Amino acid sequence: MTSALLRFEEVEHVADAALRVYGRDWGELLVNAALGMFSLIAHWDDAPLSTRHHISLTSVDSETLLVDWLGELLYFHEMEGEVYVEFEILGASQTSLQAIAKGTDQWRPGTAIKAVTFNDLQIATTNAGFAVTIVFDI
Amino acid sequence: MIDKKDIKKIDKHLYEIPRNHRNDMRVPARIYADEQLLEAALRDRSLEQLVNTTTLPGVVRYTLAMPDIHRGYGFPIGGVAATEPPEGIISPGGIGYDINCGVRVLASTIEREAVETYVDDLIQAMYRLVPSGLGKGGIKMSKRDMDRVLERGAAWAVAKGYGTTEDLAHTEEEGCLAGADASTVSQRAKKRGLQQLGSLGSGNHFLEIDEIEEVYDKGVAQVFGLHEGCIAVQIHCGSRGLGHQVCTDYVRLLQKAVRKYGIELPDRELVCAPFGSPEGQDYFAAMAASANYAWANRHVIAHWVRRAFEEALAGKLSSWELTQVYDVAHNIGKVEQYTIDGRQTKLVIHRKGATRAFGPSSRELPHDYQGVGQPVLVPGSMGTASYILVAADKAHDLTFGSTCHGAGRVMSRTQAKKTIWGEDLIRDLREKGIVVQAGSMSGLAEEAPAAYKDVERVVDVVTGVGLAHKVARLVPLGVIKG
Repeated sequence: MTSALLRFEEVEHVADAALRVYGRDWGELLVNAALGMFSLIAHWDDAPLSTRHHISLTSVDSETLLVDWLGELLYFHEMEGEVYVEFEILGASQTSLQAIAKGTDQWRPGTAIKAVTFNDLQIATTNAGFAVTIVFDI
Repeated sequence: MIDKKDIKKIDKHLYEIPRNHRNDMRVPARIYADEQLLEAALRDRSLEQLVNTTTLPGVVRYTLAMPDIHRGYGFPIGGVAATEPPEGIISPGGIGYDINCGVRVLASTIEREAVETYVDDLIQAMYRLVPSGLGKGGIKMSKRDMDRVLERGAAWAVAKGYGTTEDLAHTEEEGCLAGADASTVSQRAKKRGLQQLGSLGSGNHFLEIDEIEEVYDKGVAQVFGLHEGCIAVQIHCGSRGLGHQVCTDYVRLLQKAVRKYGIELPDRELVCAPFGSPEGQDYFAAMAASANYAWANRHVIAHWVRRAFEEALAGKLSSWELTQVYDVAHNIGKVEQYTIDGRQTKLVIHRKGATRAFGPSSRELPHDYQGVGQPVLVPGSMGTASYILVAADKAHDLTFGSTCHGAGRVMSRTQAKKTIWGEDLIRDLREKGIVVQAGSMSGLAEEAPAAYKDVERVVDVVTGVGLAHKVARLVPLGVIKG
């Protein structure tokens, strides 16, 4: 990790969007991935958090869980017209997740994301925790 | 990493990465490009993605890159691969999340001079009537309607009063891909699609009013209804959230199929199943249903575009009409017949960012285009020209009846956002006489003309090879970006 505080950074992708995401632990990686995704999708100020969704997922492996988690948030974003900016991890293993996403409907559009892909998706264990590059279909 | 020395030049516009480049390649990879386009492909790692497609089980002859190739996910954008059923696979990553993203062109006999002062009004009317951006805003539908859309495609829209049967005849597959089964589409996908039929979406999707600036082939242009100096409209969009969800669902489901059928892949986004397997058949049925939704979507949008013209031109112009030139898919999987090693066989053709190109001999074209060829619609970037080509028979033999789909990106979205401001872009385009309406300034900056390759080079390659011939050049007067 280039900085102890760095949560995610946008990396170059010619057609789509890609994020390098870091986390000191697995739960933090999931939260930072979600924050990174919504930082692409929307701009928001200090809007009050008016909505919350409980999310419960079981997946076959950690990469699939990451894709499922972001895909779930993307679904709620599209259906409810909200963006999610705070997350509470109630429990997370490599293949299951219980979390609460808190959000707002006060936001301005950035880059619309169609889907989360498995393209070259490999969660790496580093000295500082975990890191992964995620490619989003735009 | 692929180096230029790994690539063999076969012809002026044809390059090949031989089968021995990597141990897991089953066939060679071929690239239609000129030197400059090839260099761009080498820089953005799209050729690695092309080589990955040659490893797919059942792939035949070679996989192909069109000159507008750029990096995607799984397959590159501008990629074409043919597999032979039943063992040959079908891969959602070879078709994309926006299933049946495509282009529709409407033409008119309205001269540019007659509407020049009303372009703003037309753009505003279109922006008001065609919902764009995130999520909702489409026409009201019941769940039963949804199943009918998925299985009947654009014909459902005509039955409901959107568009005409003449439009259907000028749509690839007449707007309905056979084999669709609504029961293979998840409830979540249907829920997303229920509120979005007749909406544009966002990203690179657009509505554009053009002038047909130049006609190269008067005979073919006449058959297509294209008149020099007159107005045309382009509609570029796809299957919205429904298609995105179907692809997401099946990329997830087929992770298991890959293990079940012992398929080894260099990238998980290439997940697939043998076409003849239950998993492969289910995906094909859901993909076809999504393609049908996309055709119905563009049919409804075309209806609203006509309505916008009626509103904006009321009392100003009389006796005009917008006739449909054609509607082509450029993210789709199709079963088509080809000759491989001297025998006729059905192949699954994956086109991801590639347009079908059936020449004059094809029996699958509408009656009035037989003997002429299929229109190939090649949008440029906003601010630059677009082309209407006519497909040649040569494409059948060289590229599994495929050609390019657009200009192709050359600058990353990150770079575009750093160097281009949406507001500046709107002003610059207006100075060139192009009206722009957009939902997001940063989204607009990402789609700036500078982010795209030169469409002229792309078209020069496909016409130079003889996959298609130029019919007309369109220049933009007004653009709506979702």
